[in-house]
Amino acid sequence: MNDLAQTTAAPIVSARGLRKHFGRTEILHGLDFDIPAGRIYGLVGHNGAGKTTTLNALLGLTSYEGTVRVLGEDPYQKRASLMKNVAFISDVASLPRFLRVRELFALLTNIHPNFDQAKARGFLEGTDVKMEARIKNLSKGMIAQLHLAVVMAIDAKLLVLDEPTLGLDITYRKRFYRRLLEDYMTEERTLLITTHQVDEIEFMLSDIMFIRDGELILHMQMETVSSKFSQVLVRPDQVAAATALGPIYSETRFGQTAMVFDGVDRDRLAQFGDVTTPTLSDLFVALMQRGPAK
Amino acid sequence: MSQFNDSQPIFVQIGERIADMILSKTTKEGEALPSVRQISADLSVNPLTVTRAYQSLVDIGVVESRRGMGMFVAEGGHQRLLAHERQKFLTEEWPRVMARLAALDLDPTQLLKQGGKDE
Repeated sequence: MNDLAQTTAAPIVSARGLRKHFGRTEILHGLDFDIPAGRIYGLVGHNGAGKTTTLNALLGLTSYEGTVRVLGEDPYQKRASLMKNVAFISDVASLPRFLRVRELFALLTNIHPNFDQAKARGFLEGTDVKMEARIKNLSKGMIAQLHLAVVMAIDAKLLVLDEPTLGLDITYRKRFYRRLLEDYMTEERTLLITTHQVDEIEFMLSDIMFIRDGELILHMQMETVSSKFSQVLVRPDQVAAATALGPIYSETRFGQTAMVFDGVDRDRLAQFGDVTTPTLSDLFVALMQRGPAK
Repeated sequence: MSQFNDSQPIFVQIGERIADMILSKTTKEGEALPSVRQISADLSVNPLTVTRAYQSLVDIGVVESRRGMGMFVAEGGHQRLLAHERQKFLTEEWPRVMARLAALDLDPTQLLKQGGKDE
């Protein structure tokens, strides 16, 4: 078996000093990151933190300062050619509402060189989305399924999903992610997802990025997250001793104190109470309140 | 709600589930195990995590990876896994059980005589 974690090839996405201004206001303050192939990246941040602006820069949908390369190309200059290999579902996902599904597929066959109509139809088998249905008559969940079928039928090396499951019920959300893992992910393909329901995709991710006020405050492999950060449910008589080790976050709820530690040995923490790995949402809350992690 | 406990890495927990399938002979020697993709989709976990779980079983000769075919229980894999799990039980779990018995002032010989039943 080849070791998938050891990717030496060029990154799929690379950003250096990525900045964006809207008027005089700087929205992104110089982001640096690489995204290698074969990985599933989560980009998490509050509303207005700069997630969508970052994605738009990668997709060539907005101008920026700094250097961005997607599959080796400048997305703003080479947007048209990049779109052969990059697919995107936005949180304001729109498909032409007046078309029938069949007509949409015919249109895409004409305009997108890498759209495989047979594949798209295959993805819709077993769903309630019928070829003759008009898009405007589909439910939100069905539109999401249709959209996913479309982007998966494009043989894209990079798939960017901006809040893809917004407004979908839990069953549809699960089905959506299942589809992605079953039919899209391979070693050569890369997925970049933003979502507020981060706990739902936590185990799917290989890497996580937290963005706060236009800065990346965390960018690491999930494996590193679980070895670096620990959460302890501290016994009442141990609170003072545990606090002395400098938790990055502490919260008392219902008489129980939970603390999050960064880089403190787990064996040392075990004397204070049960040690676990914080969930991504717990970690997010903890890190949003302190300076950039390094 | 999570299908995993949060005290052990996910790949370890997935590895244990695969090991259980082999120990219970749900999947016998020479038979195919679920693909990385299928487990990944079933559990909503990263494919690399599943690969890593399989790798740990490949490393001890319990599972073999056949190129382009997927994962199979190796010949002699059941026996090797059994030996491995017994060793793990004796070095990791058994001392804890003994310590617990001592803490509760229970006599193991007496317990065995009762066959695990309450008195």
